[in-house]
Amino acid sequence: MTDPQPRSPLSPASPSGAPASTGSTPPTLRQLFVGMLQVALSAFGGGLSAWSQRIVVEERRWMSNEEFLTGLTVARLFPGPNQINMAVYVGAFFHGLRGALVALAGMLLVPFTLLMALGLVYFSLHALPAIDRVLAGVVAAAAGMALSMGFKILGQYRGDPIALLLAAGTLVAMEGFRVRLVPLVLVAGPLAMAWYWPRGGTTRLPKP
Amino acid sequence: MFPPSLIALLPSFASLAAGQLADCAPMRLNDLGHLLQVMGTFLGLSLFSLGGGNTLLNEYHHISVEQFCWLTPSQFADLYALAEAAPGPSSMLVGLLGMGAGWPEGPGWALLSAYGAELAILLPSTLLMVVACLRWNRLRDSPWRIAFERGLGPITLGILFAVGLKILHTADTNTPGLVVSLLVCVLMLRTRISPLWFMAAAGVLGGLGVINR
Repeated sequence: MTDPQPRSPLSPASPSGAPASTGSTPPTLRQLFVGMLQVALSAFGGGLSAWSQRIVVEERRWMSNEEFLTGLTVARLFPGPNQINMAVYVGAFFHGLRGALVALAGMLLVPFTLLMALGLVYFSLHALPAIDRVLAGVVAAAAGMALSMGFKILGQYRGDPIALLLAAGTLVAMEGFRVRLVPLVLVAGPLAMAWYWPRGGTTRLPKP
Repeated sequence: MFPPSLIALLPSFASLAAGQLADCAPMRLNDLGHLLQVMGTFLGLSLFSLGGGNTLLNEYHHISVEQFCWLTPSQFADLYALAEAAPGPSSMLVGLLGMGAGWPEGPGWALLSAYGAELAILLPSTLLMVVACLRWNRLRDSPWRIAFERGLGPITLGILFAVGLKILHTADTNTPGLVVSLLVCVLMLRTRISPLWFMAAAGVLGGLGVINR
């Protein structure tokens, strides 16, 4: 049986050995760009991850939901902003490095240009007292948002005292001893990995 | 091969050992040298943005406010809020930091710095991500990957709390502002209200003079 679709290195093979169906024809580079552009524009009010899934999986049917979720796993695991990594994943899925760069360009073009314009306005005008007053308020809200980040993922470590110890140690090192990020990660990272090294041949992750 | 940021660390460690904080070491280079140093700094950080871009925020603060004095602390807080409020990934903050770095040399260099910085922070992690994508089927069940995923989670947790505290400190707000911050923190966790509303409301309070720094 001939397969009209090019086989992506990431598509899961079904037990029979035939490539799994991933929906309609895979996107060209141009379609990747336009698709990611659409995601960026749709997500103007927020919810980038949700829009990304909606457009890539449901609307354009480039990949299955399972493949998309794999992408989320890889994106979270590797360094780099999650949303950026997702765009890279989608692009690389079909066209390797070129696809990744094209998808990234599509996703970032409009938002980054807008932010640059806002930045120029900011640097020109931020010293004006009226603007500075408003910013003083906005910044208080932003600080609250930043505070919530840690609490948001705290729950998954509740039953794991070593994890909490690691987290607390990291916090004390950064806050109390002003240890820089790079040395902290280079020292604490391998220690944590050694502790969590899978034993007994099990490769199942604990549920979050 | 050591990335520039590691080399830049050495004087900080030395003065840290001496019990003082590192002084500002603003770049007295020509424009192009300035640009390259900005890019080099972010290039070296790219692979350390674990658990999303937010873990690098303390490092961004140190570099832009304390080490190179590109920004004042309140400017850093402003840019953080701007990057969060604007549509798109909040990791575009680096573009704003680059803009701040280049601003003394004029808007043209500021823009060039901005694009250069953003490119630099994205490129290494993107390349690694592409390799990871292409090799995922082999990597998925590797013990390295399991250990990395399990181990770096708690470290990320600690870093994010440190980041939250740093941003709060940088916001340098008064008591009503602190109440707003804590309230926003709780609302972010308990509700699904868009953060833009919080920032708008807080901005109004700031304009009225209720919150100041």
